[in-house]
Amino acid sequence: MNWQTVLLIVHGLFAVALLGAITHQAAAVLLPASRPAGSFVGRFRAVPGPSYVNAIVVLYLVTAVLGGVLYTEYRIGVRTVVEQLGLWPAHGAFELKEHFAAIGLGLLPAYWYCWRFTGEPRTRAVLTAFLAVIVWWNFLVGHILNNIRGFGV
Amino acid sequence: MKPAFAIVFAVVYAVVYVVSVLNNYALFTYHPAIAEFGAGVQKGKDGPAMYWYGWLATSAIVASVAGALAAVLPESATRRLWPGLTWLVALVALAVLAYDLRQFFLK
Repeated sequence: MNWQTVLLIVHGLFAVALLGAITHQAAAVLLPASRPAGSFVGRFRAVPGPSYVNAIVVLYLVTAVLGGVLYTEYRIGVRTVVEQLGLWPAHGAFELKEHFAAIGLGLLPAYWYCWRFTGEPRTRAVLTAFLAVIVWWNFLVGHILNNIRGFGV
Repeated sequence: MKPAFAIVFAVVYAVVYVVSVLNNYALFTYHPAIAEFGAGVQKGKDGPAMYWYGWLATSAIVASVAGALAAVLPESATRRLWPGLTWLVALVALAVLAYDLRQFFLK
């Protein structure tokens, strides 16, 4: 197993943690549960959103940095194959993934500030949902691209 | 952190990122085949050139400067900054970038 494969697995694990955290928080802020929540879905929505903020910022940054390191390998070893196979939607989806990740990075200070200091519930909710969409898109596209051409093949 | 910094950073970052992508204003270029960085926009050496890191750097630096300037302005000057601009501008930025990539989904 080469270092790229190890890094890809670590990147994936951080992405899973980020996906879980941001989904919990988005559900809690968009569909707050009436307490006490009895069902599984109710308890999923009943988490305290503010306690997730720092973890989400750190997980986003770590996942983005690891993705940035792996991106060089993708550019040489994967994108060329995707182009040769004519998988244009997959190629375009990955191009969007890099833009989604970049725009998400720029939103992190505002997201953190909204959760920590301001009484701006609507902005807080929309920013959280926005980041959740970014994380879900990037996770699914990364997964699809890895299925097309995983590292170490 | 002041709210003006967070709002201005997010807005300027998204705008500069889109402008950087569309006009290729990368602060630096990375050549993955030979693991070398080069200043500004360069053509590929022994393989493809990567500009994404350079676009990120351009956006982060410009947005940091703009945010810092906004943070030192008197509060009366920044009180009317609407926090919703953060997600609204980011949403428009992603729409522009998605439109720019439309050819991949129409082939």
